[in-house]
Amino acid sequence: MLRFVGFVLLLLSLSACKREKAVQNIDLLATDWKEIELQAKGSTVHFMMWQGSPAINSYMNDFLIPKVKELYDIELKLVGGQGPEIVQLVMSEKQAGSNSGQVDMSWINGETFFQLRQIKGLWGPFVESLPNSQLIDFENPHISIDFQQPINYMECPWSITQFAMVHDLKKTPNPPANLSDLEVWIAENPGQFTISNDFSGMTLLKSFFAEISGDKDGLNGAFDEQKYNRLSGQLWKWINRNKKNFWKEGETFPKEQTKMDQLYANGELSLCYGFGEGSIDDKIRQGLFPNTTRVYPWKNGTIRNSNYLGIHYNASNKAGAMVVINYMISPEAQLRKIDPSGMDANTVLDIDKLSDDWKVKFENREKRKYGATIEELAAYAIQEPDPQYMIRLYEDFRKEVIEK
Amino acid sequence: MKSKSRYIGLALFLLIGLLPFGLALVYALLYSFGIVGIANDGFTTKFWQQVLVEDTFVQSMLYSIVISILSVVFSVGIAMLIAIKYVSKLEKPFMSFVSYLPLCMPGIVVAFFLIQILSEAGWISRLAYSIGLIDQLQSFPSLVNDSLAIGIIVAFVSVVMPFFLLLFISVYRQERLDELAHVASSLGASPLQIAIKIKIPILLHRTRMIIILYFIFLLGAYEIPLILGQESPQMISVMVVRELNQYDLTKISEGYVVAVMYTILISLLTLVVFSYHRSKTVSHA
Repeated sequence: MLRFVGFVLLLLSLSACKREKAVQNIDLLATDWKEIELQAKGSTVHFMMWQGSPAINSYMNDFLIPKVKELYDIELKLVGGQGPEIVQLVMSEKQAGSNSGQVDMSWINGETFFQLRQIKGLWGPFVESLPNSQLIDFENPHISIDFQQPINYMECPWSITQFAMVHDLKKTPNPPANLSDLEVWIAENPGQFTISNDFSGMTLLKSFFAEISGDKDGLNGAFDEQKYNRLSGQLWKWINRNKKNFWKEGETFPKEQTKMDQLYANGELSLCYGFGEGSIDDKIRQGLFPNTTRVYPWKNGTIRNSNYLGIHYNASNKAGAMVVINYMISPEAQLRKIDPSGMDANTVLDIDKLSDDWKVKFENREKRKYGATIEELAAYAIQEPDPQYMIRLYEDFRKEVIEK
Repeated sequence: MKSKSRYIGLALFLLIGLLPFGLALVYALLYSFGIVGIANDGFTTKFWQQVLVEDTFVQSMLYSIVISILSVVFSVGIAMLIAIKYVSKLEKPFMSFVSYLPLCMPGIVVAFFLIQILSEAGWISRLAYSIGLIDQLQSFPSLVNDSLAIGIIVAFVSVVMPFFLLLFISVYRQERLDELAHVASSLGASPLQIAIKIKIPILLHRTRMIIILYFIFLLGAYEIPLILGQESPQMISVMVVRELNQYDLTKISEGYVVAVMYTILISLLTLVVFSYHRSKTVSHA
């Protein structure tokens, strides 16, 4: 028995030594890039990301994973998980004092960045150390400012996207594009509009919020309690006045975007919305949405933001994560990512900073067949407001609308 | 030797069954008082106060209890009716296969299946529209994500009822209810009297613990109410997960408060049920 216990203890101590070896102590931010690539060679990188889209999964599995193996001899392993899971994981590891995390890097958006910053869950600033970051225009506020907070090179932009409204040309040829038109439209078409109780729904509410403020940029700047109370009061009044004409008479609201897409696909809803400029091309191609589906802008504007890649504060393989991220923002990987029949995500690269041959390739890329381009919606772009607006909207939408 | 193996069994049960549960409960308790948690600043009762002031927990608990009771009553009722009426037919191989089949369906599949059938744009609604019973799909009544939780109850019943059916058939045979019925009939009892005074009481008596345990199981169900429920009120598990995943990290502790309250309530309920059962068993012995 004692021998068995001794053997188990030996195994545990050996595995601890192995983990310890994985923790790098050199200052990667001051290390030459070639040296970083060398250090990453033959290593494994664990990447936590949302895996709910076949197009994104295909990009990762069929393109990115083989590419980083071929070019850098890095084994890229995907781990399923998004926002709350990433934050919970980092919180638990911090709580446990773990210096060697299960995951090295994550795909994050503004709300997760805000949460990870609160708990100091990110490592960096590393973005300036990536050679390909020279190709990104950090002067663009939609890239360098995330939820009104400067990214300070703590997360690397991966894609840029704009929220857009979606309608069916055949069913709704003249869709409403402001709150007063929407009020009239839902009264005439009861049950065909709703607000999802998730990130997308709250993003729509931000557009409504900005419209009520009377200005496209009305929510810019730090959180303003008085402004919030004034605008939200009007917003809840508007929704509660009209929710009898919402889907299911406003007694309940879809939990998430995928549910909204299903409801639009099966004809229960006539208006929909989403990031990725509405993200309709792949759904039309899959036969989920009718091919008369189109995207249109909300008159006062919709949120434009970027999504990012972050390295965990306790990543075991920071060098490997840096090399993978650097490749993910390379012209080759970004060009592949904008393919409308694939991931269909806008590049964060500044085309003017590319070499001539890449410039030509980007300019001659295949365009979307049904959806709008981000350039077409540029005049309607609104910056993400301060995260406090999102926190309060989530809470109060439940209290003031769902539970009333 | 026998007592040694009994102790090893007990130790394994404590190690595998109770220890993780106990540790998780202690962790949740510490979190709920702000003692652990990266976003917390130390001991506070504010999260408990906040949850107790709001009536969301009570609402959610009552909602879960009502749904679970209705689902168990319908499941037991339907299964009992079928078992008593068709016991001999259900023992034929094909019918036996058909009654086992729903048991293989995971709850999540049943939930998605019901959305396909019962939603406003589902099969029944489309059928009603095509034969002119409704003038537009939206006129079809809300049967999923609805305020009366019809979708959740239908899903629960379709998952749980087959289990009770098989259980009742087995008890029916063990207790030789056919023979008892025959005796009662020869003494002049009508089929209705036989069902009400002999078969149903015996079946319920023999399975009452399992019925209660199923009620507790449904109380904590997650996937089906997540997919088929509405946003408010929500069944307790859905509500707990929502609180734990909330955007405002400083309020995650409120989720742990709800989880602790729910765990204590369920543990007490289970304890009462088992003590009652034990006392009954002992007194019968």
